[in-house]
Amino acid sequence: MRHLVVFRWRAIVLVALLVLLLVVGWLVLLDTMVERGVERSGAYLVGARVDVQSADVRLGEGVVVLRGLQVTNPDAPMTNLLEAEEIVVDVRMAPLLERKVLLDTVALRGMRFGTPRGESGALDDMPPGSGRIHREIAQWAGAIRIPPLTLAGLRQAANLDAIQPESLKTVAEARASARLADSLVRRWDAELRALDPRPRIDSARALVGRLQTADPLRLGVSGMANLATSARGTLTEVQDLRARVGGLDSTALAQLTLARGRLDALAASRASDIAFGLSLLELPTLEGPQLSPAIFGDAVIAWVRPVLYWLRLAEEYLPPGLRPRRYAGADRVRGRGTTVLFPTERSDPRFLFGNGEASFVLAGSPNIAGEYRVHITGLTSDPALYGKPLALVAERAQATRGPASVKLAVVLNHVARPVRDSVDVVLREIGLPALDLRAIGARLLLGRGATELSVRRTGDQLSGRWTWRTTDASWERLAADTAQEVPSVGSRRWVEELLWRAVSGVRAVDLELQLSGDIRWPSLAVRSNVGEVVARALRQEVGREVERVERDVRERVDALTERGIARAHEGVDALQAKLTNEIASRLAELEALEAQLRDEIRKLSRRLPEGLPVP
Amino acid sequence: MLTLLKILQSLVRTLNSEGTPHQVAVGMALGACLGLTPLLNLHNLVMVAAIALLNVSVPGAVLGWLVTIPLGFLLDPVFDAVGRELLVDASGLTPLWTTIYNTPILSFANLNNSVVLGSLIGWALLALPLYAVARLGVARYRATIYPRIARWRVFQVIRASKLYNVYRLFQA
Repeated sequence: MRHLVVFRWRAIVLVALLVLLLVVGWLVLLDTMVERGVERSGAYLVGARVDVQSADVRLGEGVVVLRGLQVTNPDAPMTNLLEAEEIVVDVRMAPLLERKVLLDTVALRGMRFGTPRGESGALDDMPPGSGRIHREIAQWAGAIRIPPLTLAGLRQAANLDAIQPESLKTVAEARASARLADSLVRRWDAELRALDPRPRIDSARALVGRLQTADPLRLGVSGMANLATSARGTLTEVQDLRARVGGLDSTALAQLTLARGRLDALAASRASDIAFGLSLLELPTLEGPQLSPAIFGDAVIAWVRPVLYWLRLAEEYLPPGLRPRRYAGADRVRGRGTTVLFPTERSDPRFLFGNGEASFVLAGSPNIAGEYRVHITGLTSDPALYGKPLALVAERAQATRGPASVKLAVVLNHVARPVRDSVDVVLREIGLPALDLRAIGARLLLGRGATELSVRRTGDQLSGRWTWRTTDASWERLAADTAQEVPSVGSRRWVEELLWRAVSGVRAVDLELQLSGDIRWPSLAVRSNVGEVVARALRQEVGREVERVERDVRERVDALTERGIARAHEGVDALQAKLTNEIASRLAELEALEAQLRDEIRKLSRRLPEGLPVP
Repeated sequence: MLTLLKILQSLVRTLNSEGTPHQVAVGMALGACLGLTPLLNLHNLVMVAAIALLNVSVPGAVLGWLVTIPLGFLLDPVFDAVGRELLVDASGLTPLWTTIYNTPILSFANLNNSVVLGSLIGWALLALPLYAVARLGVARYRATIYPRIARWRVFQVIRASKLYNVYRLFQA
């Protein structure tokens, strides 16, 4: 019988060799793996390509050096969000066995923002879940309606045909009012016919006549008693009839009030129709508060997007609490599935940069170039485990150009719900950027000035204010027009000429934008003195023209609605006449009859012998 | 082409004479783990070591692996659903996953991924039936089909390949 052998002892050497081969391979490929790992997780995080030129992992020293890091701006794939020449990170080794990354120090060198890329950094195949926040913010930005700044309507003075009766609210509502009045008149005709009080009124009048001529001696006691009983019965009938007609009267009054109310509402509809007619002609608003969003809308949305993006990203990757978290699995040939993270209070966070100072040099950009110092505490993927909020303070240690103040303070308290974030940025005496204001066909070079950003978030509610102030602004035409002929009123060139004359002399610019509401769909308000300047210029130049066009529109609306409104008035007047003449007159007649009956019954009792009561 | 030939030779020898039906079947069941679950994971390293160290048929394991690769791809949505059920919906198991996730080395097993966990559970459930079917199949094959195809010329060519010598290293 053959002996059963469970183990192949000779294969131990082969397995040991295999393991050794794997370890050596891992060590050889470790740099590449870290490089790819940073690129993949970075791309997943940002939603655009992240490139690392090389990675150097020194296991013995616990140091990782990343060189040539480029993070693509997901909004502009040919531009880098940031670029760093070298990042040196001290990593604790033991926690790596638990896949926990705990950093001791981080040193950054050669940081640049907004640098151009040699090739597009857009991802060919976006991993599921990646770039979700970016897409949501893009959707929000796309849905914001920026009022257009156009004077094209000034050329459409003759084109009032666009205002048609079918499109006017007043016409439809006047028709409805007239229909309602007609139907109420018909209804009251029917009601009064059904009630028909005339025979009972006539019969009561006849009884009053009999009471006036009643002779107790001729009728006798029983005849008087019968007459009195009959009088009292008729009195009750008259009272009942009066109550019924009175009931009709109060219902009729309510309906008349309704009809009158609808008639009054026609005035508001007419105003709304005039506004609609003006909107068809694309007339410009001449109010500063409405003009500022039209002028700066696109620019401020572009500024606000990164603020919202980083706040949302912080919420996503620095979530409060210790509940399991789900993410899309790693990219591989097989299905990615879902990876669930299970933090526990007894373990280290998955990622932690507990307390550190970093310094880096910003080069390239003339606006904020210089040496920066950053102090950061509690940058962790699991704030609940760390137990303290993330605090980041950055300031410029030395400016490359001029005396400038740059301060950034961020506190992200994600230890527990609701999350409480605050971001404060103060940049003073620095070179502010240039803005292409396509709405007025000009570029605004803000020059040297100050900008302050203050954002507060509690739970899902966000409030923020961002101001830009300069007294050093200058302007450039976006496209110089060399045409010599005088542009026609309302044409694009005419508008640009007008606006250029208005703004080109403005040196002091104040711009303020406010954010409020749900962080996923905040509302945005923009105010600027430039809006006021443009409004003033517009009022001066085109105020009379706008008034003329407005008058034309008003006349057109009046002409189209006049007949309908008159018909509605006629209908309601007819209703009022019916109710007043028929119901009120019958009610008055019944009241007089009732009083007469009471009076005659009283007189009848006086004519009876003393001691004999009226039955 | 040569590789394919050698694989075929291995397959033929495995099915015909090398190793007992039990060894081939255990090899196939263990090899199925490599095919059914995502390959580059810690548990598959353990599985490769087990296939090498245990007295099972290595070609059988290769066969099990090759046969189950397409099956693994096909069943990925099922594995994902099973994994999600266990990781997300079965709240009673959360302490277990929390312990595994926070244990050194074990945290590299990726058992917190729905496809990895679901496929590993799937393999664990299928291993025994797979073993039974493979054992029965190999025995039947050797008794009935092999005598007929042994006379085929192509069969003799495959068997004559030198890979047989390497394969011998793994024989008990």
